[in-house]
Amino acid sequence: MRACFSHMKPVADVIITLMIWTYYFLSYLLLFWVWYAGAFLFSSNRETAFQRINHCYYRAFFSFVRAIVPGLAFNIDKDVLSIRSSVIVCNHLSYLDPILLISLFERHKTIVKNVFFKVPIFGWILRTAGYLPAIASEGLVSLMMERMNGLRGYLASDGNLFVFPEGTRSRDGSLGRFNEGAFKIAKRCDAPIQVLSIKNTDRLFPPDSFLFNTCIDNTIEVKLIGTIGPDYQGKDVSISEVKEKARSLLNNSLTS
Amino acid sequence: MTRGEIQSRILEIFKEEFEIENPGLDDDLRDKHEFDSIDALDLLSRIEDLLGSSLTQDEKKQAMNIRTIHHIIDYVELMAAKRS
Repeated sequence: MRACFSHMKPVADVIITLMIWTYYFLSYLLLFWVWYAGAFLFSSNRETAFQRINHCYYRAFFSFVRAIVPGLAFNIDKDVLSIRSSVIVCNHLSYLDPILLISLFERHKTIVKNVFFKVPIFGWILRTAGYLPAIASEGLVSLMMERMNGLRGYLASDGNLFVFPEGTRSRDGSLGRFNEGAFKIAKRCDAPIQVLSIKNTDRLFPPDSFLFNTCIDNTIEVKLIGTIGPDYQGKDVSISEVKEKARSLLNNSLTS
Repeated sequence: MTRGEIQSRILEIFKEEFEIENPGLDDDLRDKHEFDSIDALDLLSRIEDLLGSSLTQDEKKQAMNIRTIHHIIDYVELMAAKRS
């Protein structure tokens, strides 16, 4: 990225990072909390309203990031944007991945680590938006049961559930082992599985770093790699085979 | 229903539904066979079929901490006894 000279990059990283986090928190404190409060008090469907607000919040966030990070571009496959009523599985590179997917899908749910449900305000937003805890452990059993029971109807009515089946971020870009949860849910709800690949979010916000990596040529890509819609009721359908098929599709795409 | 009958039905369900064949009766299902919360909810539906009646929310919550086939058999026995 010639627009930023190499000797200015460390300074630019710090300044732009501070601007991004300032925007992230201030936009919430000054604007979005009013939307959440309004939706909580007046919306007839809080879950959908909270998903929509989250979607707008992160769309605005990424618009801001794109505007202030030199050299950054986004390439989002238009097929991705038209996904509905699906379980979406995707590789995981950076903390930016879940919020990037929220910014792409207005009606979305995802699986969130249990600990986040206990964070004040944030946990309340997660619950109200209908997100699922990762494990039905103490304190979240009822929530998990309620969420799972409503998931088939939610997916049938154009909602998407996105999941990172590796369960954690990749530290070197390679694809890890997949958990079966997302595939079991797809079978349970008779929903198609959409396999997405994300590239280069880890170049913008690397794991284990507080600073955004700016002033480099970087295009963040989200692509639809394939769709798996097996006859889940068929006797020969194996969840582990479906899982391996999805992993293989994604791995081939990432290594090609 | 005898304990032996419950055991053989549960093992059949594990094979058909969860692709887990011949698990050890004391295996930690989560650690050894990736049996997760989603599976647990599906298992509860199958247990309801087995019992011929619905489980209450509290009974379902009680089941979410079950870790082994032995525990599942104990649970089904208990639920069957409550209903007889």
